[in-house]
Amino acid sequence: MQIIENNKIKEKVYTEKLNNGLMVMVIPKKVRKKYIIWGTKFGSIDNKFVLSGESTPTVVPDGIAHYLEHKMFEQENGRNSLDVLSSLGVNANAYTTNNHTAYLFECTDCFYEALDEFMNYIQNPYFTDENVEKERGIIGQEIMMYEDYPDWALYMNAIKCMYHKNEVSIDVAGTKETIAEINKEKLYKIYRAFYRPDNMVMIIAGNFEPEEIIEEIKKRMKMTESQQTVKRIYENEPETIVSKKIERQMDISMPCFIVGYKDNDLESNKVKKSIAIDIIGNIILGRSARLFQKLYEKGKILSEPSWNYEFAETYAHVLIQGQTNYVDDVIAEISFEVERVKKEGIKEEDFQRIKKKIYGEMVKDYNEVATIANGFVANYVRGINSFDYFEEFESIHKTYVEKVLRDVLQEEKKVISVIKPNTNIMASKNK
Amino acid sequence: MVITINQCQTDKMSSKTSFEIKQGIKVHVIHTDLYKTNLICVMLTLPLMKETVTKNALLPFMLRRGTKNFSDQYVINQELEDMYGASFDCGVDKIGDNQVLKFYIDTINNEYTFSKENILKKSVELILDIVFNPIMENGLFKEEFLNIEKENLKQVIESKIDAKDAYAFNNCITAMYGEEGFGLYKYGYIEDIDAITAEDLTEHYNKLIQNCKIDILLSGNFYQDEIVSIFERNENVKQLRPRIENYILNNEFTEKKQKVDNVQVIEEKMDVSQGKLVIGMDVLSNMENLQATALVYNAILGDGANSLLFQNVREKESLAYTAKSSFIKQKLNIFIRCGIQVENYDKAVEVIKKQLENIKAGNFTEEQIKNAKAYLISGIKAVEEEQDTEVVFYIGQEISKTDISFEEYIQKIENVSKAEIMELAKHIEINTIYFLRD
Repeated sequence: MQIIENNKIKEKVYTEKLNNGLMVMVIPKKVRKKYIIWGTKFGSIDNKFVLSGESTPTVVPDGIAHYLEHKMFEQENGRNSLDVLSSLGVNANAYTTNNHTAYLFECTDCFYEALDEFMNYIQNPYFTDENVEKERGIIGQEIMMYEDYPDWALYMNAIKCMYHKNEVSIDVAGTKETIAEINKEKLYKIYRAFYRPDNMVMIIAGNFEPEEIIEEIKKRMKMTESQQTVKRIYENEPETIVSKKIERQMDISMPCFIVGYKDNDLESNKVKKSIAIDIIGNIILGRSARLFQKLYEKGKILSEPSWNYEFAETYAHVLIQGQTNYVDDVIAEISFEVERVKKEGIKEEDFQRIKKKIYGEMVKDYNEVATIANGFVANYVRGINSFDYFEEFESIHKTYVEKVLRDVLQEEKKVISVIKPNTNIMASKNK
Repeated sequence: MVITINQCQTDKMSSKTSFEIKQGIKVHVIHTDLYKTNLICVMLTLPLMKETVTKNALLPFMLRRGTKNFSDQYVINQELEDMYGASFDCGVDKIGDNQVLKFYIDTINNEYTFSKENILKKSVELILDIVFNPIMENGLFKEEFLNIEKENLKQVIESKIDAKDAYAFNNCITAMYGEEGFGLYKYGYIEDIDAITAEDLTEHYNKLIQNCKIDILLSGNFYQDEIVSIFERNENVKQLRPRIENYILNNEFTEKKQKVDNVQVIEEKMDVSQGKLVIGMDVLSNMENLQATALVYNAILGDGANSLLFQNVREKESLAYTAKSSFIKQKLNIFIRCGIQVENYDKAVEVIKKQLENIKAGNFTEEQIKNAKAYLISGIKAVEEEQDTEVVFYIGQEISKTDISFEEYIQKIENVSKAEIMELAKHIEINTIYFLRD
């Protein structure tokens, strides 16, 4: 067992690779809540792969990782593990992202009873034609629910503007058409291909003795070392963007926008870069920034747009998202300010203050077991240890941040996604 | 000024102490070492009224603009950034028939700062300055700020259509209560904004701040003594007068409901992919242990994965992804909410009504009761492990004047019997069925 300690936030993580290849990490915390999350590096981007022993690639329908996540709870004894866990009073859930799927539960009592069920269902999938069919209607409604979220439509459009072929533009849940192709054979196949111990990570956070809990995990571990290997195939993405701008209408009150910058440099230190981009966002359009003040006083923005550096192994981009009645003005002002700061540089005093702010926000992320553990999973599947952010933070200098600004926020890599309110008038009547 | 501590309550589990610094102004200190952060909230509680709801909602927008010590919001924001990214926010809540103006600041504990700075003291002083010491020009709120904030409030009100499920939920409540009390929209009404002048709003604020119920909640790794000494020396606190709290008490003893003659059925059209169904129900009972019984009833009906709605509307009939219900304890209502395909409206309503009948007829098992209780109890235990949830929990208790410990609360839930749930079910009636569709 290895121990990594972070003195700044006074936290430790104990890691151990089990014999079957599964990475287990324990973060002890003196709280009553206990949390476990078991993730696999398999998400919506993994739609094409070659299995060992096969010569042709397998292509799976969009949304299958998410469909599998829904179906994992189904058990041979006819029970649903989500119900079993709920009846123990634990809070169980699962989620699917672009690059990973994770199963989790949180509780104050009954941890080991719940652990039995948790590790049992994840290791024993049970799919039948009937139970796979039943889920189609439910997931269909989930897809429609997302269609009504303006933020989701805005995001998907920005991604489509940036990427020609990259799998990140596949909707995590798929579409009604693609999920129609999913059946139990396909689900078993991807389960065997990606739910292998060496492709997974388990994080446990809460009041635990690391050795003790790892023994308990081993006792319940049935998965053996996998003989199968999987070669994932991703499309070669050109460096250019697809289109500069996309616009659509929905029933919303105020236009919303995303300005995206595609980042083709996937080899660089993304942890360090993500901190730099956080600093840049604050300098250019944070709540104390000159531009924020100007736009706010003119009534052009109500709150500060968010800045986010989203990255996985196969893609990276900056997303700036906001709401305004003056979309064109605000976007032009952002670009203008980006160019001005590129030319004039960042003020030392602003740089130091924003660094302090970001440090505080990093500390706040270590408040709750769920946030901590989820962060560790999302980072692990990208080859990062969450504590790395504190290491990299130390080495961030103003000149580095200014270089990232010049390298990443380039005009020819910029896309714009806009959603405007519908122009028709809403009708309303009593039934 | 010397504060004499009238201890109202000491709760051992969460070590919360409350004391009144002046009549109508309470400070609640929640000592905890579970977090790396301190959370400080100032809550102003006011009765919801059509005449004042909009003016009240405008106040947080104005107050965050600047204080006599920090001349504008950009200076405040720089100060917050310098306090290791302390986050300040404010907003408006509706709790029963009351409007609650809330201001909060969230900082890291002193021990995680680079040189053990006292940001606890700084943040308490800053939030008190924002709420009680706004910047004025010739004794009035600044006109230039007011004009912008009026526009901002308009946009906030207009944006209620953006989240379609919340929009449908709000419309159902208004259909049940009309435009008064609980039926009002917490941010007010666009048509009332233009007429608000700097004179009006200043006069309104000055009166309100000397008369409203004020609660200040602090959660973090510090003790009462530290807090008392900050409050004793604070100039803004010295200016506040004792007051007789003017707000509306809602609880199971104050709410008297009558069965409606006809169920209202309302349909509204909008550009949505999925229909949003909301069913509002009245709890027409004054049985003993009503709150706990209604919570267990609601958990069996639609709270959690084992509930009847989740199992039938979602799992069995595949009609929805979300199918749930919630109990509003201040107003004794239960709201059922589902996202469904528009064509499935009749089928969904039928399946939901069937579940209501099933509970009435006692078609549910001891196992289901046990599950519902386990679900609720684990939720109660988790309250003390989430800083913001715990603060919200205590403000809810404060406003409804309920004062029970977590153990008592759990005990009341444990005590609920099947007969009581069936008895309550007989007195739960649909008031309104609201459907938002394309």
